[in-house]
Amino acid sequence: MDYDPMVMDDAEALGPVVKISQADSVRVKYELSNSDIAFANSLRRVMLAEIPTIAIDLVEIEENSSVLADEFIAHRLGLIPLNAEGVENLLYARECDCDGCCEHCSVKLMLHAKCTGDENMHVFARDLVPVGERVNQVLGTPVFSDAEGLGPLILKLRPGQEVKLECIAKKGIAKEHAKWAPSAAIGFEYDPHNKLRHIDLWYETDAKAEWPPSEYASWEEPPQEGEPFDYDAVPNRFYFNVESAGSLPPDTIVSEGIKVLQQKLAGLIHELAEGEGDGMNGDYNGPRSPEYGTGADGFGGYTTPFGNGGNQSSWGGAGGTTPYGTTPYGAGQSNWS
Amino acid sequence: MPRAKARKEEPAEAGSDIVMDEAPTSHQPESRDDMSVDQDEDDEVEAEDDEVEEEEEVQRVRLLPGSTPTAASFEFLNESHTLGNALRYIIMKNPDVEFCAYAIPHPSEAKMNVRIQTFEGTTAIQALEKGLRDLQDLCDVVSDKFIEAREKFAATASS
Ligand SMILES: [Zn+2]
Repeated sequence: MDYDPMVMDDAEALGPVVKISQADSVRVKYELSNSDIAFANSLRRVMLAEIPTIAIDLVEIEENSSVLADEFIAHRLGLIPLNAEGVENLLYARECDCDGCCEHCSVKLMLHAKCTGDENMHVFARDLVPVGERVNQVLGTPVFSDAEGLGPLILKLRPGQEVKLECIAKKGIAKEHAKWAPSAAIGFEYDPHNKLRHIDLWYETDAKAEWPPSEYASWEEPPQEGEPFDYDAVPNRFYFNVESAGSLPPDTIVSEGIKVLQQKLAGLIHELAEGEGDGMNGDYNGPRSPEYGTGADGFGGYTTPFGNGGNQSSWGGAGGTTPYGTTPYGAGQSNWS
Repeated sequence: MPRAKARKEEPAEAGSDIVMDEAPTSHQPESRDDMSVDQDEDDEVEAEDDEVEEEEEVQRVRLLPGSTPTAASFEFLNESHTLGNALRYIIMKNPDVEFCAYAIPHPSEAKMNVRIQTFEGTTAIQALEKGLRDLQDLCDVVSDKFIEAREKFAATASS
């Protein structure tokens, strides 16, 4: 951030601040302040949906005499959290050179259970055993967070019933399917006193009396009695509560989330730099817009409403004389929220 | 709402005609249109080869038609509010930028558009690139601050 601090708000010029209020193996609670809601929300979204983990994606069922349908069991298997430590060394199956799947892009797990006693049998994630070569010794192992170390219950078998199946776990992100989500939930909160009135609280007689205060209410100054509404106020302090589903530790989820965001940006910067070689210097034969700069002056070959001064603002000058008035952008302007 | 006012003062037919014909915000790149013609004419093997090539060269940022150096619209493929809003925020922080906004024109198309208008002296592409780099710097700072805070928390919790 090499901007002149004078341009920024005083608080924001100091740079973002992170304060952790709770951290253990399941969750991390932290406050991100001196940041904008746009960035805070990007971080939330990326942690929720774009961190790669590993989950069962293919199930081959050899035997299933349980009461549950094959696809029902396959779905349950997909949702079992698997340890994602070292998943960065695993390839996406679609990017691997192999035919189908191999040890570089997948982890194989077997499940074989038969109820031989006369009591119903419970089949847990513990009964799912990784087999074959793996990137490392923990990747793809089911996660047990219960005291007994059994993991989630997959199905139950009556005497004589049997399941035998083979699972292929692959790398993926939650944007594709929620089973790849590293977080069970991400709490995201700001403005505990609703000073900004982003929330319209429902009430019977008095909202203040009926709604319980947020756990962060004591962190921020409550509004004074009869305080006028501040129209310029923007949210500045964001309270995150990242709860892990088990595949990655909670602080890793935060770090990985930022990393994913950075990789996204790095990829775009790289592409922009590549395009600039043939794109910025007037020779627009590349994959950029065919209309951009085809003429000698950079604007020939088509008539643009922007031609008479690209940086003339339609926002500065009111009235109907703006060159943007008849462009498609003019019509679509309501979309640019 | 200067926009609505601006259009009301136009002759009604002219305004709506142009809007209907030219709305380009999410039309397919021309190369892809060519591709479909090729596939119809050529034999299948060749068409398949073309498809593979197309996949490798997938371009994630595109300049939309009608852009000039200081006022441009970019189309990002496979991006969403996750990048759009943060990028809009950081580009708006650039004092050389007059206007920046983002939109997702249709929810079922994985496309995100960013509009940038700059003052004289810098171009929209430069502003976009600077925005991406600034956002990267912001990520660096938050990442470092988080790790620092986590270590500090671990130290106080154990002592
Ligand atoms: Zn493979």
